[in-house]
Amino acid sequence: MSKAERTKTKTAREKIKEQQAAARARDRRRRIATYSTAGVVAVAAVGFGWWYLASASQSEVASGSLAPITVQSDGSVVMAKQGVTSPVVDIYEDFQCPACKELERVSGQTFKNLAAEGKAKVVYHPITIFSQEPTKSNSVRAGSAARCVADGKQWMAFHDLLYQNQPSETEAGFTPDQLKSWGKDAGVTSPGFDQCVTSGKNADAQLSYSKKIADEQKLEHTPTVKLNGTEIDNSVLFTPQQLREEITGAAK
Amino acid sequence: MDASLSSPRAFAAIPWVTTVARLVLGGVLIAAGALKIGNPADSVLAVKAYQLLPESVAVSVGYALPILEIVVGLLLVVGLLTRVAAVIAGLLMLAFVFGIAWAWAHGLRIDCGCFGGGGQLGVGQEPTYLLDILRDFGLALLGIWAVRFPPGRYALDGALGLGGDNRSEGEYDDEQS
Repeated sequence: MSKAERTKTKTAREKIKEQQAAARARDRRRRIATYSTAGVVAVAAVGFGWWYLASASQSEVASGSLAPITVQSDGSVVMAKQGVTSPVVDIYEDFQCPACKELERVSGQTFKNLAAEGKAKVVYHPITIFSQEPTKSNSVRAGSAARCVADGKQWMAFHDLLYQNQPSETEAGFTPDQLKSWGKDAGVTSPGFDQCVTSGKNADAQLSYSKKIADEQKLEHTPTVKLNGTEIDNSVLFTPQQLREEITGAAK
Repeated sequence: MDASLSSPRAFAAIPWVTTVARLVLGGVLIAAGALKIGNPADSVLAVKAYQLLPESVAVSVGYALPILEIVVGLLLVVGLLTRVAAVIAGLLMLAFVFGIAWAWAHGLRIDCGCFGGGGQLGVGQEPTYLLDILRDFGLALLGIWAVRFPPGRYALDGALGLGGDNRSEGEYDDEQS
């Protein structure tokens, strides 16, 4: 092979090499573009879904003062504007139950607003659903302490404080001392309150009411919320906007 | 399977194993996410039930989990961004293993909430921690396999020439085309 021929071969080989390098670079750019596009779409899908789920569960804001609240002799509590008798929203809840706390966080304000707007009569039934310790005793202490509050406004403030301070399900909580101090924070001034909480004198009433209500209403879990006697599905219950539509729809 | 690992037959099986791993792991993730997404409140509750994360973080994680599971599951099933998706899926599974072990060690009595539900045990139900941990650990192993040998057969990564892995590109290419 002559020298000239060898040079010629070399340049041809180099040309091919260059072309291959260019093709590889093109290929690489295309791959990076595809890869990034897919990545961006996936991240956007997660972000959008997250935002959507979080915003669907967005709670309402307080729309002013509460509707009148009455503590009834059986321990249930009615919140309704004067003359509003339907639709009836019955809330069966347990102060120790985490799902009830979550309902309170997500939809508690919706119930209050609907009652204040005169669009529903809301009835709270604090019961004890737990049968194991320490949750059962915690629940009974909290439930019977709530029965020591006679004033509606104070009861609601106490109710909210109980959920805010809900103890873990694995430890004893809702101690008499805590309950008494939250009572003060809720504005309870009646002289018998401390003694009523400490003695736990409403524990029997709490337990018998819980049993009666659980049997009558065939409750399987708390929270159970019934609209004119029919249980509201959890997916609606925990979506404030849908909950509002369901309840206002029942008024028509 | 009498073929040793170094034999060509075992070598040829690797991408198929990856495909199976992708489908199983992705399928479980999609199912878990789909069962949760209709009821995000339950998902939040289930995360809170572990008592592992601060309140606000638990709420965010509860809302993010279902959609994250579905998207990562879909990516795995179609084999797109296989390695990245498998890393996330594997980490998720290891996090679940850790969470369940934590709940067990702390004497919590919860449902893992893996496939929906608010993390509360029903009346008379017993926790199934060991089973949950073994399942999730097995799924984590599938994830690790897919990270090591992406993207397997029937993967969009392969069809798009992404290979799922730029560094080892060409390593198994003779097997693929």
